[in-house]
Amino acid sequence: MNPLVYRKLPLILVGVLALGLPLVVTSPTYLHIVILLFLYAYLTTSWNLVGGFAGVLPLGHAAFVGIGAYTSTILSLQYGVSPWIGMLVGAVIACIVGVIIGLPTFKMRGAYFALATIAFAEGIRVMFENIDQLGPLQINGPRGLQIPPLKTGLASFMFAEKEPYYYIILVMLAGVLLLTWAISRSKLGYYLMAGGEEPEAAQALGVNVARAKLTAMAMSSFLTAFAGTFWAQFTLYIHPKSVMSLDISFEIAFIALIGGRGSIAGPVLGALLLRPVSDFSRIYFGDKLPGLHLIIFGVVLILVMLFQPRGLQLPLTRIYHRVMDRLFGDREAAA
Amino acid sequence: MKILELQKVRKYFGGIKAVESFSLDVGEGDIVGLIGPNGAGKSTLFNCVAGVFPPTAGDILFLGEKINGQKPWDLCHKGLARTFQIVKPFASRSVLYNVMVGAFATTDKRSEAEKRAREVLQHLHMDDKKDQRAGNLTIADRKRLEIARALATRPKMLLLDEVMAGLRPTEVDEMVAIIKRLREGGMTIFVIEHIMRAIMALSDRIAVLHFGTKIAEGSPQEIARDERVIKAYLGEDYGAA
Amino acid sequence: MLFILEDTINGILMGSIYGLAALGLTLIFGVLKVINFAHGSLLMVGMYVAYWAVLLTGVHPYLSLVIVVPVMFLFGYLLQDILIKPIFKAEKDVREPITVIIVTTGVWYILDNLSLLIFGPQYRNIQDNPLRGKMLEAGEMMISVPKLWGFCAAIITALLVYLFLQKTRMGRAVRATSLDRDAASLQGINQYKIYNISFGIGTAIAGVAGVTLVPFFNIFPSVGVLFDIKCFIIVVLGGLGSIGGALLGGMIVGVIESVGPQFMTATWTEAIVYGLFLVFLFLKPSGLFGVKYDW
Repeated sequence: MNPLVYRKLPLILVGVLALGLPLVVTSPTYLHIVILLFLYAYLTTSWNLVGGFAGVLPLGHAAFVGIGAYTSTILSLQYGVSPWIGMLVGAVIACIVGVIIGLPTFKMRGAYFALATIAFAEGIRVMFENIDQLGPLQINGPRGLQIPPLKTGLASFMFAEKEPYYYIILVMLAGVLLLTWAISRSKLGYYLMAGGEEPEAAQALGVNVARAKLTAMAMSSFLTAFAGTFWAQFTLYIHPKSVMSLDISFEIAFIALIGGRGSIAGPVLGALLLRPVSDFSRIYFGDKLPGLHLIIFGVVLILVMLFQPRGLQLPLTRIYHRVMDRLFGDREAAA
Repeated sequence: MKILELQKVRKYFGGIKAVESFSLDVGEGDIVGLIGPNGAGKSTLFNCVAGVFPPTAGDILFLGEKINGQKPWDLCHKGLARTFQIVKPFASRSVLYNVMVGAFATTDKRSEAEKRAREVLQHLHMDDKKDQRAGNLTIADRKRLEIARALATRPKMLLLDEVMAGLRPTEVDEMVAIIKRLREGGMTIFVIEHIMRAIMALSDRIAVLHFGTKIAEGSPQEIARDERVIKAYLGEDYGAA
Repeated sequence: MLFILEDTINGILMGSIYGLAALGLTLIFGVLKVINFAHGSLLMVGMYVAYWAVLLTGVHPYLSLVIVVPVMFLFGYLLQDILIKPIFKAEKDVREPITVIIVTTGVWYILDNLSLLIFGPQYRNIQDNPLRGKMLEAGEMMISVPKLWGFCAAIITALLVYLFLQKTRMGRAVRATSLDRDAASLQGINQYKIYNISFGIGTAIAGVAGVTLVPFFNIFPSVGVLFDIKCFIIVVLGGLGSIGGALLGGMIVGVIESVGPQFMTATWTEAIVYGLFLVFLFLKPSGLFGVKYDW
């Protein structure tokens, strides 16, 4: 057998497992947790386009989630527009907002850039919390919007069971991972990496660093907004604190950092490691030891930054390759 | 055909006159050297040409077009490439990756960029190191990588900023050979250098900068005998040699 | 009209306390060049230390400074030494290690939730303290007495920090390190020791701010979050590393918060503060008094 297949085997296995998961995990609670896990994996992978590839630290991505969620919800509640179309509209708006934010902020140094993104995100959230009505659009301020569960089915992006949501988010996640992989091998990917590591050298080599970063930001915000619509259709209730809070922005960023930003698998790995910790400690310790999951989160954050600042994907990938060599090395040598 | 024309270029930083009314022509296929004591303004001049900052006054023409104040990445696409005095490799990436960044300047396709990058590496005898991490290279190899990257952008002119600094004598000789080979391939080269042996061996013409002013220009032999140059480097006592 | 004057004065007083809170941050930011996202949590710790000190000993809140300042200094010193110094050593060539931001965020999460775990979520305050609810009558205006005390504490602390930086040997070492850490270390200054001390001082100042808040502000585990972003905004507004800037920036924010609700909802004033912050970031990132920071 072609030795290359041996390397790809685990990925194929993972794919099969993912497709078959709902057949094994039937409890809606656990499926809900897995769906949220995939959602966060999707969010951090989209974030990674700016935070990892472009080398900056944006800490306000929840704003794009909110824009996506509110756009599709308002369009469907008030104008009967299908959430799928609303999803696209929301993504376009988020993309424009992302570029507007990026234009002045990418010139700033790391710390100031991070602060600026926080300020933008919080400013947007505060506005949403204050506005009840914007012209004909009903925003409802802090009370938020509720989506009545009327018609179910693919067209209305609303389902009674969890399984369809699972497959949708799975497809989204696979798509964004594929896109990330393609970008990493493309001119944009090379330019982003170069601009992030040595901007002066990159510029001398023909890289318009600012434009590359803006392109990455545009893509990232576009994709992040999709998740906002998914969230709205999944939980059927959105309000500024639930879709635009700073906690979400931070969690997205830190999952990527712990997993290893700038790599393709890093963000997903981070989500796989941290989300279960967060969810399970909330379920089991929620009443007796509130906030424990955040303490664990904080400790993990510190330990990883002190000992593996490039993320856990580095040592994990090394172990993976060593295991693969151990298992299939002989056959590869013989082939 | 004049590739680069510097016409009365001035660069002031506030009250500091870094470069004062500097004029120079570089013809196609020339190797022109720029020397001068430290702080004379050589890198400042390079940075003006390369688009890092615009000159305060005067004109810089590249291929007949005025390029004052244009951005480095646009200049790169026009055919002007440069290396940096303090090398800036993309340290966490492989040598091939580094050169591919340069190669992408002329193509959008990854396969083409990779092909071009490998050609350049072969031309500079670095093909065997293509998968090595750039940060792990010796200083001599890093300097060659700088040139390789710049070369991958298919420039019409190369600005080499102290490419020999930090190299051992044998490595200097190798580098001189590489640069000469580049010129044989049709490249125009403008070099800043401190290592006299190298610049004397390479250059068709040398310009000497002292406190921002050009004090001499001519063939290497003429420069070596020029009284003002000797005074600038060694001081007054040696002037009348 | 009189209300606006009263609001303005109270806004200035409260703002000076904000400025005091931000003073510690501007010192840390200015010297170490890092964002300390845990600053709000340090303030919270200071408040809890002051709270317990007063509760257990029954002294005047401001007397608890005797305990709070050294405890906080030590806390900050150790925090920097154990958690942040290793990163500085590992990322020696990076001018602004982003990793530190993440570590301080971890500290923030841990501190806030640890105190939630230990102290519980309930709001606490010191009911019968000599300053609570006291008002000073100035004509027809009512000036808040605890805030007035805070104002004085802010001015005095700022002066002490200024004198320290200008007149003492250690202070000059701190300033040197903030300008160029490599040059300073070549002059024989142990940059890591300076970082530890700066962090300690910054934390101690946060402790002082906590003490000024304890007489009238509620104490609860996530109280730091309210101040965290605000402090960063003030630091940028006032100028990185500028003492006067921190106080002035604080007062500006305080006045906006105080006078604003006369004309709009409280959350819109929040939006204005963010907007002002962004304007400064884009147009004058060095703030009102900061040194032109090389981008």
